[in-house]
This record gives sequence, C-alpha cells and structure tokens, in this order.
Amino acid sequence: MKLIKKIKIPRVYIYGIDVIKNFLFFTLYIIITLITIAFIIAPSIKTFKKNQALYFETKQNYLYIKTQYNQTLKELNELKKQNTHILTAFRREFDIQNFKKFASSFMQIEKIKKDKTSVYKQNFIKTIYYINANIKSPQDFYNFADALKKYKYVIRVYFPIDFEKNKNSIELKLKIEHYRLKNLNALKAEEKAH
Amino acid sequence: MRVYSFKIPKKKPIFKEDTKLWLIFIAISLLLYISFSLFLTFKAYILKKETKELNKKAYELKLKTMQLNEEKEFIYIQKSVFENIMIKNDLTKQQIKNLLDLIPDPITLEKFYIDKNKLTIYGITPTKDVYNLLMLPPLESIFEKTVTTFYKLPNGWYRFKSQNYIQSEENETY
Repeated sequence: MKLIKKIKIPRVYIYGIDVIKNFLFFTLYIIITLITIAFIIAPSIKTFKKNQALYFETKQNYLYIKTQYNQTLKELNELKKQNTHILTAFRREFDIQNFKKFASSFMQIEKIKKDKTSVYKQNFIKTIYYINANIKSPQDFYNFADALKKYKYVIRVYFPIDFEKNKNSIELKLKIEHYRLKNLNALKAEEKAH
Repeated sequence: MRVYSFKIPKKKPIFKEDTKLWLIFIAISLLLYISFSLFLTFKAYILKKETKELNKKAYELKLKTMQLNEEKEFIYIQKSVFENIMIKNDLTKQQIKNLLDLIPDPITLEKFYIDKNKLTIYGITPTKDVYNLLMLPPLESIFEKTVTTFYKLPNGWYRFKSQNYIQSEENETY
C-alpha cells in the first residue's frame, strides 16, 4: 500500500484534457476489446462458421438426394406410363364372363372349369382353367393366341392342348393360366400412399 | 471553531465528465460485442437446426427413393413376366402351326394331343409307306422316341396312332 501511495501518476493536461487518464482509459478499452474478441466473439464466429459449412454441405447433399428422387420418380412415372397395360392387367381379377365374350370372336366355348391356384415367382398368383371349345380352323386358335397380347388379363395358353376334328369344326381342349398380382390390397394401399 | 467560506459549495461528482464518457463508451462497446456474439450464436443455432431438418428430409427422401427403386424393379419384374408369357404363347402357337405344317397332303389328321413332353397324333394314311416316308422322318428328328400303331380300315387305308416323347424336363414343348 505504501508503494502504491508512493507511485505518483503525473498529471499532464493539454487544453484541460488529462492525457494520462485518457491514455489509460484507451488502453483499458483496447484490452477489453481484445479479451472480448478472444473469449466471446472468436468462439462464436468459429461455431457459426462450422455450422454454416455443415449446413451448406448438408444442403448440397440434400439437393443431390432430391434431384435423385425427382429423377427416380420421373423414371417411375415414365415406366408406369409405358407399361400401363401390363400393370393394370396384372391387377385384375379374372372374370369368366368377360373371357367368354373375348374368346367368342375366335371360338365357341362350351365349358370353362377352374382348377387349382398357386403362387408363381413369389409375387404372382397363377390360376389354371380348362376350356372346351370349338373352332372353325386352326387359324382361329392362332388369332386367339395373338389377341391375348392386348387382352385385359394376363393369360397363358399352356399344355395339354387337344385338337380333334369334328364334322364341320375342330374340338379344342386347352389349358389356360391366368396370372395376377399376389397381394392386391397391399398394392392398393401402397398406391394411395404415393 | 467555525470556518466560513466566501464560495458557495458545489456538489462534487463521483466521476468526472470525461471519465463518464469513457465508461459509457466502453459499456456500449461491450454491449455491442455481446450482442454481436449473441447474434452469431443464434444464427449458428438456427443453422444447426436447419441442418438437422435437412438431414431428416434427406433421410426421408433416401427412403422414398429406395421405395421408388423397389417399385421400379417390381415393374420390370412384371414386364418381364408378361413378356415371357406372351413369348410362350407365341411359341405354343408356332409349335402347333409347325405340327400342322408337318402333316403331308396324303395323310388326314383326325386328332392330336400335345403335352409338355408328349405328342400323340391320330390320323388316316393311304399306306404305311406314305406315313413312314413322309411323316415319320420329321417326327423322329424332333422326338427322342416315336411309337406308331396302325389299324387297317375296311377300305384298305390305315388309321394310325403316333406317340412321340421327349425326355428332357427343361423342354416344356412337345
């Protein structure tokens, strides 16, 4: 205390301004500024910069994923558009009356008998039908097989096939297989979700 | 003893004017520094929050993209199954067409039965030689085993039953 009391700060005045006091205050201001920058502002800037960099990186990544998603969605819609016939054909339940109407252009159906149903390639259901019919010529059968390509159901003509000549017609016995998707309800729910 | 002065006493302030100015200046500066720092912290917090949200959105989009890809795959599967079925229909049609083209003019076809590995033909031939010369060779070239039975008709022609087999299980045609 004695030492402090011994230190005498000289008082220098220029135009009535205490130069030493102002200098000390200025020094104090500089010190406070430096301390604030070092311990408060600099860490804030660092955190901000770090978060900003991370944000831009994430945003870039998000935009890339979004572009990919849009691209995939576009491709999917295009694919659906191109294959509408196939996709709807697989979703339809088989209607015997409709089939009779369709086949009547090529043959006279006497009898259709439903046989067993089984799972085909995990996602499909195959139902077998046996048909007894009359055709005028083999050409009717060829036309029938060709018309199946554009038919609303997915039908495969399969063996055994039996051709027997009658007086004015050919008696035809054949097996057809109807294919549809296995889980129609799940698919409908999935379609609604999109 | 009382002391009297000719001057009127003035109130002496704790801080002089210039000291007050310095203190206010330093206080305002400090306030500005802290405000700036708080602003940056708040901005950083907002950015962090937005980054989190973007990450969440990106994850959801990734999942959706995966679902879309699965859907695409499934469409390709359906397309492939459909095309396969149509190709097989074409093959079946072609096989029957080929079989009917195989029958020579003198022979009359009455009935035929095609299964996966078997073809049975019923018909009428004027002579056994006509059958053996015109129909048997192509059948033998296609099938591994051919068995033919003839029944003589009252007019001298023959009714025949030709049974043809393929052993291979892969070939689901004749």
